[in-house]
Amino acid sequence: MEAILVDCVQSSLRHFMYRNAIFMCERLCAEFPSEVNLQLLAGCYLQNNKAYCAYHILKGTQMPQSRYLFAISCFQMDLLKEAESALCSANEPGAEVPNGAAGHYLLGLIYRYTDRKKGAILHFKQALSIDPLLWAAYEELCSLGSAEEAAAVFGEAAAVSIHKQYLPNGFPPQNADMSSEDHNVISARRSMDDVSSRQLKQMLGNNARDVAGSYHGTTASSQSSGQPLNGGSSQLSLYNTPSPVATQSLQLSGAAPPPPCRNMHPNGPNLSALGADSSPRSTVNSTIQAPRRKFVDEGKLRKISGRLFSDSGPRRSTRLAGDAATNATTNVTSVAGNGASNSSKHLGSLKPSSAALRAVTVRKGQSWASENSDEGVRNEVTDDSRFNPTLANCSCPSGDNRTFDQEGASMPVAGPVLTIARVLTGTAEVLGLLRLFGEAYRLSCMYRCQDALDIYSRLPHRHYNTGWVLSQVGKAYFELVDYMEADQAFNLARRASPYSLEGMDIYSTVLYHLKEDMKLSYLAQELIATDRLASQSWCAMGNCYSLQKDHETALKNFQRVVQLDSKFAYAHTLCGHEYVSLEDFENGIKSYQTALRVDARHYNAWYGLGMVYLRQEKYEFSEHHFHMALEINPCSSVIMSYLGTALHALKRSEKALMMMEKAILADRKNPLPMYQKANILISLEKLDEALEVLEELKEYAPRESSVYALMGKIYKSRNMHAQAMLHFGLALDLKPSATDVATIKAEIEKLHVPDEVEDCL
Amino acid sequence: MATESSEGEEEGKITGGNLVLAVDDDLCEMGKKAVWSVSSCKPGNGVSSLRDDNLDTYWQSDGAQPHLVNVQFQKKVKLQMVALYVDFKLDESYTPSKISIRAGDGFHNLKEIKTVELVKPAGWIPISLSGNDPRETFVNTFMLQIAVLSNHLNGRDTHVRQIKVYGPRLNPFPHQPFQFTSTEFITYSCVR
Repeated sequence: MEAILVDCVQSSLRHFMYRNAIFMCERLCAEFPSEVNLQLLAGCYLQNNKAYCAYHILKGTQMPQSRYLFAISCFQMDLLKEAESALCSANEPGAEVPNGAAGHYLLGLIYRYTDRKKGAILHFKQALSIDPLLWAAYEELCSLGSAEEAAAVFGEAAAVSIHKQYLPNGFPPQNADMSSEDHNVISARRSMDDVSSRQLKQMLGNNARDVAGSYHGTTASSQSSGQPLNGGSSQLSLYNTPSPVATQSLQLSGAAPPPPCRNMHPNGPNLSALGADSSPRSTVNSTIQAPRRKFVDEGKLRKISGRLFSDSGPRRSTRLAGDAATNATTNVTSVAGNGASNSSKHLGSLKPSSAALRAVTVRKGQSWASENSDEGVRNEVTDDSRFNPTLANCSCPSGDNRTFDQEGASMPVAGPVLTIARVLTGTAEVLGLLRLFGEAYRLSCMYRCQDALDIYSRLPHRHYNTGWVLSQVGKAYFELVDYMEADQAFNLARRASPYSLEGMDIYSTVLYHLKEDMKLSYLAQELIATDRLASQSWCAMGNCYSLQKDHETALKNFQRVVQLDSKFAYAHTLCGHEYVSLEDFENGIKSYQTALRVDARHYNAWYGLGMVYLRQEKYEFSEHHFHMALEINPCSSVIMSYLGTALHALKRSEKALMMMEKAILADRKNPLPMYQKANILISLEKLDEALEVLEELKEYAPRESSVYALMGKIYKSRNMHAQAMLHFGLALDLKPSATDVATIKAEIEKLHVPDEVEDCL
Repeated sequence: MATESSEGEEEGKITGGNLVLAVDDDLCEMGKKAVWSVSSCKPGNGVSSLRDDNLDTYWQSDGAQPHLVNVQFQKKVKLQMVALYVDFKLDESYTPSKISIRAGDGFHNLKEIKTVELVKPAGWIPISLSGNDPRETFVNTFMLQIAVLSNHLNGRDTHVRQIKVYGPRLNPFPHQPFQFTSTEFITYSCVR
């Protein structure tokens, strides 16, 4: 009876029928209370977004997989301390972190959010060393500013460890999860590295193997190695190894060959089903597309079991589908929570793929991989489901994840031959891709945007034209203050994946800078229609109001974003900007400081603080903050010019001038440093030089009234009245603001005084 | 709108009014930073009705003329315009007819800067505080007093539904002598 119930639960999960799954699972736990069944139930809850339920049932459990699931629920409920103690209890400092790479990744996140940067970096690096395809960990390292070069991380050592994953027994054709990129998902199973090939045959071959062996050999033993389930196999293997996991994974797989999978799942009960697998194999062959989908499903299922990357999954939309795929395979392996460490690994890898899918336009069905690989944990299932839709949207080359069910059989990908050669080439391909992405992402986090753009342009077209890459490109242009290009890039990104909200907050800022209020309001409306609970939609709305100078409503919108997601640093910075526009400096400072607490490398917040102190005339503070901002983003000419202004206010005019020169060199298109330079020169009484600079500036920005006004002032102090009059006139023609009109007219009057005196006389 | 003579104190007749208050982009409402008080009021129709953005509630005075609305700032601010919402059709004899605007450092040295006469107004009445001289575009002051000297049909008490006070927007970029007008400058002048 237990087996039947387990089967039923997993099948419900596979089909996303959560109510059924939860009910059945609760009956299962009541009838056969065991920790493994509890894990299954927790998985059901987590998939259904009920982390608090999982929390309560798993409290106090000791098995590694349970601890991992418990940690995930704590993390989702924001109980970081408990999550941390679950993952690495204080009493046993040397104990191994459950689920290997996934566990380390989760620990890294916890450390990051509790402000222990060094510990976080350590854990992410650990995670990456266990599972080199864990892109999310690399991303976190980049955003913490301490990532090594991608070539090192995704290099030889990584290749070796992936080989080990896929060829645990040396050379048996295990499911090479290496489904590089696309296949990642299935990769667990498929030692096929032909991601691109997605060969059914591989799948077929792998299935059998995958199921059995891929999961790091150990699983192989548990499963009938002969299982033909392609997609499923990998999953199966995962599932097989730890029975609870297995069952879960089965659910995920929903894939076509559910029967085989299911059979596979419970290590014990349904080994007989293995025989059934062979049939799926043939079917697999027939439909390459189908298998893919299945794989995806499997991946998802897997994910659920082990990884519970629930937060990481969806969050990491940027887990490039491609990367994810690769990661997925690795992740899967790392997942090995329950018993079958191998299987979990596969799951792990799958997961990333699914994540990737979700995130970005599914890059070639890699998502499946991610999804598939996920730990048998049900949680993954939810992730998968998420991915699936994305996949669906993106024209996944390989079938969608949605067709989980089909997966087993259909995906011959994993199944087929996991030859060593395949593993090797697959690994090489995946790592090659990851190297590119990793390096580009790392450079863009260090704000070396031009270099990052160069690397992105080296990506193959099929990857470049996906939402993730395009929005990263847009972001890079934004940092380079090239708003027109950024606009274009983001536009393409919207068209490539109109449902993806990643990076749309930056897009709204770009439109704000370009003063395109129509486009901005259209974007905001679209985003809110897509997802009312996403932080990016309300950021766009807030920017829209801010552009219309309605700062109070803008502030309300940004506060909504903060409520939705208090870990979103940009929202706090935008709140700060609005407070400052409303001249509420105290709250502005508080908001900026909150932003910095969330992300110490958010240079916009440092800049914001510098501006506030500049206004309040606390020049020392202002200089320090601009300096910090510049350290993080050394290419921004705007920050340099403001730093120069602060230095000048501190009477360090030499340094100020040097800084202005630097800013002028950094970005020729920026007229501001020249203007500031002229200002400084005027206050140093070097009027001629100032005039020269302003003349040059006139060429760059011929319609700027403040340039003429300043020149007029210089001529006036030199008593060259005619010139002064001319320039003041020009300045007035260019419609300055009311205050300036008053000032300029006042200056003109003063010019006329000598004449008036003559007239009166 | 009011006609202005070239002298400091002048009288102008204003008829009608706008239903919607259209304000220039470079003006921003300064009333939030000020303390508002009135010379007298009927319970339930106090000074808060002047600032509640609700045109249905009004301030009703309850004493001898002239009725005063005092707006006091913590530091000197530049003011450019005062807008009043009054409606003859609704308030008839309570509608103000002669209004004097005074400015100064405090109650002891207020000086009249503007006088207007309203004739059957209905809606927002913008009253510019600028003088003719370009140097006098703004009134730089600690305190503003809006005095209702007389009402339509010789009414004793007055109804005013809303008052807003406008001044120039601060330069968003500190330490610049002039504000920027062209897109190139504005785009590069801040990091968001």
